[in-house]
Amino acid sequence: MENIRIKATNRSPAVSFDFARHHLRIKGESYPEDVLAFYGPILASLDAYLVSLRSGRCRCDLALVYFNSGSAKALMLLLEKLDEAAARGAAIEIYWYYDEKDDTMKELGEEFGEDLRHAAFHMEVMQR
Amino acid sequence: MATAGLFDKEEEIIAAAESRLANGGFRIAEERRAYADLLDAYQRLFRTTRRLMRLSDRNERELNALAEQQREAAEQIARKNRELETLSKKLAKYLSPQVYQSIFAGQREVKLASTRKKLTVFFSDIADFTEATEKMEPEDLTQLLNQYLAEMSRVALEYGATIDKYIGDAIMIFFGDPETRGTREDAAACVKMAIAMQRRLGELAAMWRHSGIEAPLRCRIGIHTGYCTVGNFGSDDRMDYTIIGTTVNLAARLQEQAPPGGILLSYETYAQVKDEVCCEAAGTSNIRGLPYPVSVYRAVDLYRHLGTETRTLTADLTHLSLSMDPHAMSADERHQAFDLLNEALQRLARA
Repeated sequence: MENIRIKATNRSPAVSFDFARHHLRIKGESYPEDVLAFYGPILASLDAYLVSLRSGRCRCDLALVYFNSGSAKALMLLLEKLDEAAARGAAIEIYWYYDEKDDTMKELGEEFGEDLRHAAFHMEVMQR
Repeated sequence: MATAGLFDKEEEIIAAAESRLANGGFRIAEERRAYADLLDAYQRLFRTTRRLMRLSDRNERELNALAEQQREAAEQIARKNRELETLSKKLAKYLSPQVYQSIFAGQREVKLASTRKKLTVFFSDIADFTEATEKMEPEDLTQLLNQYLAEMSRVALEYGATIDKYIGDAIMIFFGDPETRGTREDAAACVKMAIAMQRRLGELAAMWRHSGIEAPLRCRIGIHTGYCTVGNFGSDDRMDYTIIGTTVNLAARLQEQAPPGGILLSYETYAQVKDEVCCEAAGTSNIRGLPYPVSVYRAVDLYRHLGTETRTLTADLTHLSLSMDPHAMSADERHQAFDLLNEALQRLARA
């Protein structure tokens, strides 16, 4: 399956989904004008990848410094999909990176983690 | 924004639903499962709502903080701009207005660079300034000098001159850079300016006489048109926008040789202005530093100030060419011209 590599802009994050290496990464700020247009194709590819993953391993790094409500909903959908894949037997590791001075991002990460029932969730301080 | 209390009703509904699930009361297991799924989805949605609200509030706080930072930055920039404007106005007084404009409009780079250009160069100096002012107090002398330079500069700027520098009571000016209207026009503007300066100096002389200067201040002026190297000279830390070359030296030498109250032009300048300015040939002069004598002319006044009698008489018919400037002629030349024209009249009568 074809990897996804999107460069960061001032409104959207860098996305690197290296399906061959089972490493997914989203980094930066996220407030695209059209959330669905940005995240729709990414989530669709993720669906296809997760079906093929079966009981394999996958790591997902989320390192976001700012996102809007629409992006938050898209991220929750992404986490749900990963959690569902973990429920089906995949070994999913999710890393949530946050700025140590940003309490809101830390709390949001904690809450996102609480929703996950099957995937392993880790909180990490972002390296400056 | 604190969310405590905002979601009491939703929390009560969830608590009641959880209690109902715990206490049984479902006759059909499928109904209980559907109820549990619905509660799970409601709880998930409830958490999502709270998260989004918190995120939205946080983003709003950040935006407000950014807007405040931006407002403070804009204020600071405006204050800096005002300071820079005041400073640049002060600095502008040390530069010729054209040079200042061209630097601030971004047309001229402030770096060591020069170019060759045909310019008209002007030098003036007050004749016997030291002797004329030796009885004056330093304060009065300063005031007199500043008034003189201010008045001459005002005239210079009226004619579009680039004031290069003041050297004591001497003024160095040029035309043709950074702006030029063409060699002829630049030379004409320079000579007209010189005439206007002499006229203004005459008006000021009466005023100064009342201030205790017995002998009136009279100015020597020299003007030459030629190629100069013009640009920024000096070092990267301190540079002067000026001109150098033989043309500059020649203009300075002409000024030294000019009589008090007089304007001496080189042939090159005379050739550019002779149609507009009445000039008298002043012979040739050996200029220090030049290996050949230079033809020199004295600018009298503009023809339009003098009337038609003094204008060069010109004709360019199919069979007659004439260009006659009686005022520029020597006595011998005038006799020869008289004989020639007499013969011409006789031949015309006989034809």
